[in-house]
Amino acid sequence: MAEVLKLLTRNVGKANSTNVDSYMASGGYEPLMTALHKMSPEQVLGEVKASNLKGRGGAGFPAGLKWSFLPKGRDRVKYLVCNADESEPGTFKDRLLIENDPHAILEGMILAGFATQAAGAFFYIRGEMPQGFRIFQRAVDQAYERGFLGKNILGSGFGFDVYVSRGAGAYICGEETALMNSLEGKRGEPRLKPPFPAGFGVYGQPSNINNVETYANVPLIIKNGGAWYAAIGAPSAPGPRLYGVSGHVKRPGVYELPSGVNLRELIYEHAGGILGDRPLKAVIPGGSSVPVLRADQIDVTMDPDGLKKVGTMVGSAGVIVMNDTVCMVKAMVNLMQFYAHESCGQCTPCREGTHWLKLILQRIEEGGGKPGDVDLILDVSNNIMGRTICPLGDAAAMPAIAFATQFRDEFDAHIREGRCPMAHTHMTVAV
Amino acid sequence: MPLIRIDDKEIEAPEGETILRLALKHGIHIPYYCWHPALSIVGQCRMCLVEVKGVPKPLTACSTAVTSLPPDKKIDGKYDMVVDTKSQVTKKAQKGVLEFLLLNHPLDCPICDQAGECQLQEYSYTYGEPASRLEFEKVHAPKRVDIGPHVVFDVERCIKCTRCIRFCKEITRTEELTLAERGVHARVETFPGKQLDNPYSVCTVDVCPVGALTSKEFRFKQRVWFLTSTNSVCQECSRGCSVRVDTYKGEVLRLVPRDNPKVNGPWMCDYGRLISERMKDLTVLARPKVREGGRLTAVPWPGFAQVLQKKVASSLKDGAKDAALIWSGRMPLEEMAAAKALSAGIFGGLQGTLPKVCRGEDDDLLIRKERRPNLKGAALLGLAVTGENAPVSSLLKGKKVALVVREDVVGEAQGPEKDAIKAALSAMDLVIVADYALTETAALAHIFIPLAGWHEMEGTVVNFMGVVQKMARSVLPPRDRKAFYEVASLWLSSAGIDAPEASFLAWHAQVRKAVPGMKDLMIRDILPHGVQLPEVGP
Ligand SMILES: Cc1cc2nc3c(=O)[nH]c(=O)nc-3n(C[C@H](O)[C@H](O)[C@H](O)COP(=O)(O)O)c2cc1C
Ligand code: SF4
Ligand code: SF4
Ligand code: SF4
Ligand code: FES
Repeated sequence: MAEVLKLLTRNVGKANSTNVDSYMASGGYEPLMTALHKMSPEQVLGEVKASNLKGRGGAGFPAGLKWSFLPKGRDRVKYLVCNADESEPGTFKDRLLIENDPHAILEGMILAGFATQAAGAFFYIRGEMPQGFRIFQRAVDQAYERGFLGKNILGSGFGFDVYVSRGAGAYICGEETALMNSLEGKRGEPRLKPPFPAGFGVYGQPSNINNVETYANVPLIIKNGGAWYAAIGAPSAPGPRLYGVSGHVKRPGVYELPSGVNLRELIYEHAGGILGDRPLKAVIPGGSSVPVLRADQIDVTMDPDGLKKVGTMVGSAGVIVMNDTVCMVKAMVNLMQFYAHESCGQCTPCREGTHWLKLILQRIEEGGGKPGDVDLILDVSNNIMGRTICPLGDAAAMPAIAFATQFRDEFDAHIREGRCPMAHTHMTVAV
Repeated sequence: MPLIRIDDKEIEAPEGETILRLALKHGIHIPYYCWHPALSIVGQCRMCLVEVKGVPKPLTACSTAVTSLPPDKKIDGKYDMVVDTKSQVTKKAQKGVLEFLLLNHPLDCPICDQAGECQLQEYSYTYGEPASRLEFEKVHAPKRVDIGPHVVFDVERCIKCTRCIRFCKEITRTEELTLAERGVHARVETFPGKQLDNPYSVCTVDVCPVGALTSKEFRFKQRVWFLTSTNSVCQECSRGCSVRVDTYKGEVLRLVPRDNPKVNGPWMCDYGRLISERMKDLTVLARPKVREGGRLTAVPWPGFAQVLQKKVASSLKDGAKDAALIWSGRMPLEEMAAAKALSAGIFGGLQGTLPKVCRGEDDDLLIRKERRPNLKGAALLGLAVTGENAPVSSLLKGKKVALVVREDVVGEAQGPEKDAIKAALSAMDLVIVADYALTETAALAHIFIPLAGWHEMEGTVVNFMGVVQKMARSVLPPRDRKAFYEVASLWLSSAGIDAPEASFLAWHAQVRKAVPGMKDLMIRDILPHGVQLPEVGP
């Protein structure tokens, strides 16, 4: 059994963990001092590249490579953004870090700012996390007081500012360019790309955006070296990883494990197995937007290669576990309600398609399904896939296709019987 | 330059040009909604998706730019991009998007003003799927939102192409509109406390590809397939926007801008467009009138020119110094040429004057403060133009005879100036007014000559930049209303003077002789976008 790590979560659970003093007591901000006084920006970037750190926001893009897309030098004002909008159903790992170890995130952002010679950063936090907002803002204030932020940080000549900004309750504002629009006070809708943020980002300036957990890894890399980091877990996407496990498990929560942990092990060992000791039915391994797995498909490693073999993705590593009491049609209705509600509505296939899928699914669930409805779901989903401005369209279509194919017999039974064949077994559980 | 193949056409394209622009330029139609040549590219409707060889997903033609490939990567050894607008992938994408658009679109066609010129209707026939799978209750939304003085909004019909929003943001920069809410509930809205009220607001109706935005003035007037259209020129300022005039049974029902890169791009202002509404309030006469015993009495055209000439001759016994001639910047070049011929033949060489009527200020889009379409033409023909809004009374005072053509000098004036003009005209022996409508000035006339309206005759006008354009006869005038050049022909002949025949072409020939730069211009050269006259560049 893979050992539970205490790297990203090293300060979680400690008294006063959000306070700068206690953060520094356990070696916090030392990597920053090392970088500022003993390393060049290129060296910091080099370590991050060597670490092979992959983004933790969902797409798994190599962080060092993304940073290197920004124009070099300090001639142009460049910004960093930390994406703390965490709104994907089944995903709650960033919140753990924000509320327990804000300085680790902040230190990672300053290090990234130094590596890319950015002028400052925006921390965009989900509006429904008032606690996290207060904690992070306090961390920023403390960092200014201690000279870790502001002009001429620790006498190094490098200056960097951080602004904390709150969202207003839209999942789509986690998409990087919608987030930037929202930051600027505009309607939170994704931008047409190109241009990409590295050339035209926040306020039109070259910008880099990463996830909370991605930044939180950077101090570890600078402290221990890129090579050390690259040796943890799955080589294709190395490092410690926060897995959020929810649904029908005995011990839901966030588990820090090496990347590439076995999914069965994660569910049955770390998360304590299935609630009620009932049979497992389905698992969504990476937040609601990735294809669902059947119970017989979980002997896989939680890394891009392993999950690709069973046609799904790591996504945000939010693992949603469903036992045999879950009606898959009902589960899909729930998800599609979410996507239809969160579609920003600017592009046709996503705006209309998610709504249509929701109606078809509701009809099946309510017993009014018609023969051909499953094929209709697949066709409508395929008309969304790859046809939209941002990935939200795909994020809605992929699970719909997966549910309808992986559990087709259950959909067919609903339509045939004109009701939910397992209506009496529904069990509710706090996620 | 990159070499592109779109379907069977090989096209050399400048780097950065979009697939959609290229295709349209080469006669290949790719359907589109949100793209508009004068607005920013947003790629929102997804109607223009096309299959591009080597790319796993269809791409939006409106936003995909042509790039060159390195020599060893060329497709089929020579192409930088290969686009198939008829492939299965393209067709599936088009059908999919159209079906999505119809999902919540009301079945309003029978009562919708846009029917017949609706892009949704058109594309549904051309690119859509005949069988419907849309069996759900549609999302309902307000149907008659009064969003501005000239525009009504049907929220249900809107396809969220955001053209109207971008028009107000990028062209007028007034930003009245935005998208509000999300998902299927997303809708175009005016910002709180704002109205869609800017000098170009009806252009949103033009850019709306469906029947969501309709013009208050035109809606429910007539089915568009019953309209007769002609290409003409707006008369309301010295920009001279290119317009299409839509008429039904002799009535002008609406003006629509014609895309003319030389003059107005695709836009026109509300004031110019709504001339059709102001025309409804005019009193229009059909036959010449002569004052007898204090009342204007209609007389027939035959013999009228003789009456006219006799009256003028007897009132000008002491020579032309007793006369005042007021011409108008509304007269096309041909009428101005006729005016010059009258000056020479009837008024002993007396030159007339054109009042330069101005209102407000030039804006940075189209509107010009000079409210007449052919002031530049007057200058080219050597006619005298007054200073800006200069008082006209001084031109009239003490004269015995006045000929006022197409200017309501009384109606345009105010206060003491108005009284002075009235007094001067009332003191005269003979006031001749030639105009389309019975104006305040015409009420003081001894002789009234009914002229064809701008929409009832042919003519050419030169805008402030020196672009000569042609006005068209959109409506056949009742037999009795004539262009001023036709009146001039009759008048000159009745005085025994050789005159061009009473026709547009005959007088246009005079114009070509007189205006520098027009000598070699044929009418067909001027159509449809006009010609920049070289001598008078902007
Ligand atoms: C609809 C949608 C929602 C997203 N929400 C989040 C989010 O809440 N947090 C996040 O980090 N990334 C989110 N992303 C991914 C971001 O667009 C972006 O890829 C990510 O922040 C990049 O960070 P990384 O490279 O560190 O992974 C979302 C993407 C989409 C399409
Ligand atoms: S895919 Fe959906 S969320 Fe993304 S831009 Fe289009 S409508 Fe908005
Ligand atoms: S009202 Fe018309 S122009 Fe405006 S978004 Fe809707 S369809 Fe487009
Ligand atoms: S700008 Fe001038 S010419 Fe153009 S429509 Fe308005 S009034 Fe007519
Ligand atoms: S025309 Fe290309 S997406 Fe609308």
